[in-house]
Formats: sequence, structure tokens, C-alpha cells
Amino acid sequence: MGPLAINEIISENTNLFLAFIIGIAFGFVLESSGFSSSRKLAGVFYGYDTVVLKVFFTGAITCMLGLLFFSLFGWIDLNLVYINPTYLTSAIVGGIIMGAGFIIGGFCPGTSFCGAAIGKIDGIVFVVGLFLGVLIFGLGYNLWDGLYMAKNLGSPKISESLGMSDGLFALILIIVALAMFTVGEWAEKKFPREVY
Amino acid sequence: MKPRILLALFIIPLGLIIAAVPQNKTKPYKLTAVEMLSEANTRTQFVTPETVADMIVNKDPLLQLIDVRSQEEFEKFNLPGSINIPLTDLLSDQYTDILNQDVKMNVFYSNATINANEAWMITRQLGYTNNYVLEGGLNYWFDAILNPKAPASTSSDEEFAKYDFRKGAGQALGGGAAVQTEKMQVSDAAKPVIKAAARKKKASGGC
Repeated sequence: MGPLAINEIISENTNLFLAFIIGIAFGFVLESSGFSSSRKLAGVFYGYDTVVLKVFFTGAITCMLGLLFFSLFGWIDLNLVYINPTYLTSAIVGGIIMGAGFIIGGFCPGTSFCGAAIGKIDGIVFVVGLFLGVLIFGLGYNLWDGLYMAKNLGSPKISESLGMSDGLFALILIIVALAMFTVGEWAEKKFPREVY
Repeated sequence: MKPRILLALFIIPLGLIIAAVPQNKTKPYKLTAVEMLSEANTRTQFVTPETVADMIVNKDPLLQLIDVRSQEEFEKFNLPGSINIPLTDLLSDQYTDILNQDVKMNVFYSNATINANEAWMITRQLGYTNNYVLEGGLNYWFDAILNPKAPASTSSDEEFAKYDFRKGAGQALGGGAAVQTEKMQVSDAAKPVIKAAARKKKASGGC
């Protein structure tokens, strides 16, 4: 049955429309959970607020379980679900740049738009910086395309690399996530901040 | 009860279930025998030599010719821009990315059409969509494109236009048909219609 758009159960335009609705809902939930505050996001790195970690990991686990059960019931063909190809070098370099930007700016791309949308100046500055980065990357592409395209590993799955089934990996990830939540809440008690 | 405990109570059993059940590896979008038969009967997998010649001459980047004959035969003669995937190696992992993609139009060819058609049927069964077969194979290619025969003088304009196109394409592709014929008006009818390959995109997403 699924993915809906690929199997032409819904049209490409309906697909975009659904994405638009889901995007608005996503933005609304981010904003109402306080994710438009850069302090909340920076809190993960200082330990005083780990809501971001908990929310995104819960989201990932829910999505993972949903896809696996849908596949089990034959509702979705996981072979047709796009997996971003892994370019190892650029993943590492990009991860470092993104992580640094995350700590310095206190936003990830999604939350920065959330912040900008409600008029937060730091959010707007972050979005401008984001586009500057895109521009620099695009204009200087010839300088780093070798690095960018290096070590293409295809679309490996961690479960495949470890030689286990997707389900077993899911179970392990759930346990790891729950352990991380416990550590996160311990950190919140350990490094509390009254006003932020 | 703390929300985390509640979450754990709900999500760990689900994790246990999904870890315990076997993975669903069936591909529901493979064709059934009935569907395959009807698709084979429509003969839509065939691409005419004119279409292919036109795409080669125009250097159409969407065209990917695939020679399914053996390597020796491929080295002796092949069509410009073609690659060699011997039928015996068709299912090798290294070719999956070429055969199962949504950008290029793969055209299989062999001496006749039997081997190319086999390749098409197998890839079609796997659910791949962008593969086609060169109509008539190389034998017909030689007759139609490289050594086209002039139609009888009573033939229709369309026949002559087709012949002129073939002759032109044959010359461009190194054939021996350089005989001058009387000037004929070339109509657009000779231009083969290039069928856009069916596109099948994957759902993309991101944060």
C-alpha cells in the first residue's frame, strides 16, 4: 500500500499538501513546547534541560516502531522508503559544523524557523546565517566537492552493518533511549538553572 | 506514575514484539504472473531502432543502452554509449543501481530480441520500471539503420520519410548507406516520438 505518493494512491500535489499541514502542526508543537527558545536547546549541552533530547528521541522511536509495524502488516514497502546515502567524510565534517552551530546558535534548522516565525531576533539571525552558509557552500562547491562526495557507503542500515534484524536493533535503541532519558533527568537535577 | 515509566511500559513490549517477529521481506509490488503476461502482451517494452538512433544522434543523456550479450560479442561490436551486462550476470549486485533507478531509460539489446526480452522480464518481475528492449535487436538494427533499403517508388511519403531518417541516422552512426536518392520531403512523421520513461521517485524527507 504505502508509500502513498509513490504508489500513486495520492497525487504528488496531495502529498505536498499533506506535508504542508504536517509541517504547520510540527511547527506549532515545537513552538508550544518551548523549542523556539535557544536556551532550551542549548540546555541539552549544559545538562539543565534535556527536553529536546527526549522529544526528538521519542519521535524517532515512535516513527521507527510505526514503520516496522506497518511493514509487518504489509502497509508499507520499506524498500521504497528513501534512505539518505551516507557520504562518510562529509557526514563527519558536516556533523561537526552542525553541532558547533547548534551549541553557538542554540537552534537547529527547524527550530530556528520556529523562533524566527514568532519574531525572535536570534532566530532571525540564525536563519540569515543558515542561508549565508547555503550560499557559501553553493558558490564554493568546486572547492569541496571532492570532500563532499568522498566515501559513499550507499544507504547502509546500522542493523545490517551489525548483522542483526531491524526489530532487534529497534529494541536495543528503545532501551538505550530510555536509559538516556534517565541520565538526562539525572543531569537536570545535577545542573539546575532557575531562570532561563 | 511518572511519564517515563508509562512510556517504558508501553514502548518496551512493542520493541519486544518487533524484535521477536520475523521481518516482512515480501515485496508486494512484484508482478503476478497474470500481470506479467498482460504486460508482455501489450509489447510496450519495445523501443524502435529509430527512437534509439535518434536518441544516440542527439546524445540524449536519458538513454542507457545495455548489451546483454557476452563480453566477447560486446567487444566485437556494440552500439555507441552502451554498457555490457551479460545476461548471466544480470542479478549481480553491482548492476542493481543501474537496472533499478528512476532517471535513465535502459534499453536492453542482444542479437535478436530473445535475450534482451528475458532481461526485461526478469527486471520487470523485480518491480523495476525503467527498462526497455530494442525492437528487433541488433539484426534488425543492421537492416533498418545501418543498411536501410529504399522503399518502392509507389510507397507513401511516410515510408520515404522513414527511409531518409534511417539513412541519415545510419550515416551518423557509421553505416554504409551513403547512396544518394531523389530528394524527398521529410515530414515530421519520421521523427520518432520519444516516450518519457516512467518515473518512480522515492519519498524523501528530513529534519
